[in-house]
Amino acid sequence: MAEEFLVVKDLHKSFNEHKAVNGVSFAIEKGEIFGLLGPNGAGKTTTIRMLSTVLEPDSGEVVIGGHSIRQEPEAVRSIIGVCPQELALYEDLSALDNMVFFGRMAGLNGQEARAQAMQHLELMGLVERARGRVSRFSGGMKRRINLAIALMGTPRLLFLDEPTVGIDPQSRNNIYETIRGLRDRGMTILYTTHYMEEADRLCRRVAIMDAGQIITLDTPRQLKSQIGSPDQVTLEDVFLKLTGRSLRD
Amino acid sequence: MKRALYVALNEVRLYIRDKGDLAFGMLLPIVTFALMYGAFGGHTLFEATAPIVDEDGGPYAARLVAQLEAVPGIDIDRLTAAQADTRLERSDLQLVLYIPAGFSDALAAGEPAQLVFRQRGNGGQEGQILASIIRGVAGDIDREFRVHRQVAAGLAGAAVPADRIAVTVQELLDRERRQPAVAVAEEVVGGSPDFINQFLPGIVVMYVLFSLTLSARVIVEERKRGTLERLLTTRLSVGGLYFGKFMSSVFRGFIQTFILLGLSYIVFRFFTPVSFLAALVVAFVFAAAAAALGMIIASIARSEDGAAWIGVVFTMTMVMLGGTFFQVAEGSVLDTIGKISIITYGREALGTIIAGSGTLGDTVFQLTVLAGVAVVGLVISRLIFRAVPGGK
Repeated sequence: MAEEFLVVKDLHKSFNEHKAVNGVSFAIEKGEIFGLLGPNGAGKTTTIRMLSTVLEPDSGEVVIGGHSIRQEPEAVRSIIGVCPQELALYEDLSALDNMVFFGRMAGLNGQEARAQAMQHLELMGLVERARGRVSRFSGGMKRRINLAIALMGTPRLLFLDEPTVGIDPQSRNNIYETIRGLRDRGMTILYTTHYMEEADRLCRRVAIMDAGQIITLDTPRQLKSQIGSPDQVTLEDVFLKLTGRSLRD
Repeated sequence: MKRALYVALNEVRLYIRDKGDLAFGMLLPIVTFALMYGAFGGHTLFEATAPIVDEDGGPYAARLVAQLEAVPGIDIDRLTAAQADTRLERSDLQLVLYIPAGFSDALAAGEPAQLVFRQRGNGGQEGQILASIIRGVAGDIDREFRVHRQVAAGLAGAAVPADRIAVTVQELLDRERRQPAVAVAEEVVGGSPDFINQFLPGIVVMYVLFSLTLSARVIVEERKRGTLERLLTTRLSVGGLYFGKFMSSVFRGFIQTFILLGLSYIVFRFFTPVSFLAALVVAFVFAAAAAALGMIIASIARSEDGAAWIGVVFTMTMVMLGGTFFQVAEGSVLDTIGKISIITYGREALGTIIAGSGTLGDTVFQLTVLAGVAVVGLVISRLIFRAVPGGK
């Protein structure tokens, strides 16, 4: 059995009377790309914010790389990287300055931060724009920088919260290739997206959340086989069948 | 601590890149200083215009006027007797120098000559200073005449041509004027308690307090761009983030003060090197107090507009209570209320050093209050700060 790098047990979080996360449990194996899907307001982002130590859970236990997020949040932060759903960049700074700064925050010294920044910028196809001000970048370039920053410090677990929203197919493809490359190097990835095809292509296993709970968890092929032939139905069909067709926003 | 320093450096870098903030924080103090200099800068030297009526028109009258014109800060306004009388009657002038007809002839003949001051009342303060300067110049001319006459009398019958005596004596007198036996040097050891000295300390600390509005926005801006939450997923602690923001605010306030005090040092010569360093220490402690108050506002505010408004209202209240633009009578109600304003302590401490030629030792009370505000403000702001609702 593969080593479990992230273990979540009975996680709860409420905001006033609203239960945003209600008894979520799952585990991710080392080197796995794990998809967390769900409609808007399902509790995906709240779950990621708790796992990345930004929010404190009301109850439940989370262990990442052997460290409890309650007892050893600093140790957890030293092995995770987070690519948030919204762009989180200093637009008045250059791409390189952004990456070096977050590299320093991840514990790298100046030389290491600079070297890693250039390496990740190359990975994202942005070396030539390293010294360009981020405010002048296209949406796709900003998304790639947003992801590249999450890689600073070489985290062992990467949280990717809808990293491909609103970008062109070329940038999206670049991000897919990057994610696969990271997985091949042993990085564990928790991935959320609204693009079902994307989850089908990238993730070994997928959990579908709704109303703060995980309603199903399996490989994309197994999930598809629950409602028909895996070659004829899509993950989106499964998603809509499980979460319903009513609007959520 | 190291990461807090990087946060501060990053904040400074962002500040430098933001042209609006930079203009507000750095250029505005320079512009203000330029205005102060324009208004008060030339007043270190006595400047006046000497109205003169030359009814003589001879060479000695011309020489007197030329020597007066050579006095630094004195301009000559040549008037006719009618013009001078009219302006004296209208009180447009307080004092006029009349050089009567026959002045040069009398001197050339070796007879006593007379100058006349016509004035309203005592001639006013400026008129009295002018009269004193004119008497000094006339006295110099008188002494030189006496020397000429005595040398000529001494050499009478020695077969030396009169024009040669005159030229030689004049050369010797010119040399003596260039190298006087008794020279007077001026050394500035501190400012005088004039208008600018009274108000400069208040203006300096007011600028630092204005930067509090910018400090108040630092957390809100970080939250708005999403980087606050991202930073909280790194090894940076909340305390480190907070202290980094605080340090950047102190730096910003201190640089503003440094510019204003530095310009005052260079242009107005308010300071000695030691008093300048003392003023910088006061500026640093004041900047820390202002930054800590800015951090409290940053912790309370939920939007940039909210932070700006709280900052402006708070700053203006402190500025008014602190007696920045007017002197508050000691023991008055306003004086008592003003004790809650940090401006009061910053202004008093800087004023002691600038106008009172005091030392840091004389500002211990004010510095202690300001340092206390900095420490307590930082602790309070950290206690009420929540980076994420329901989280850290």
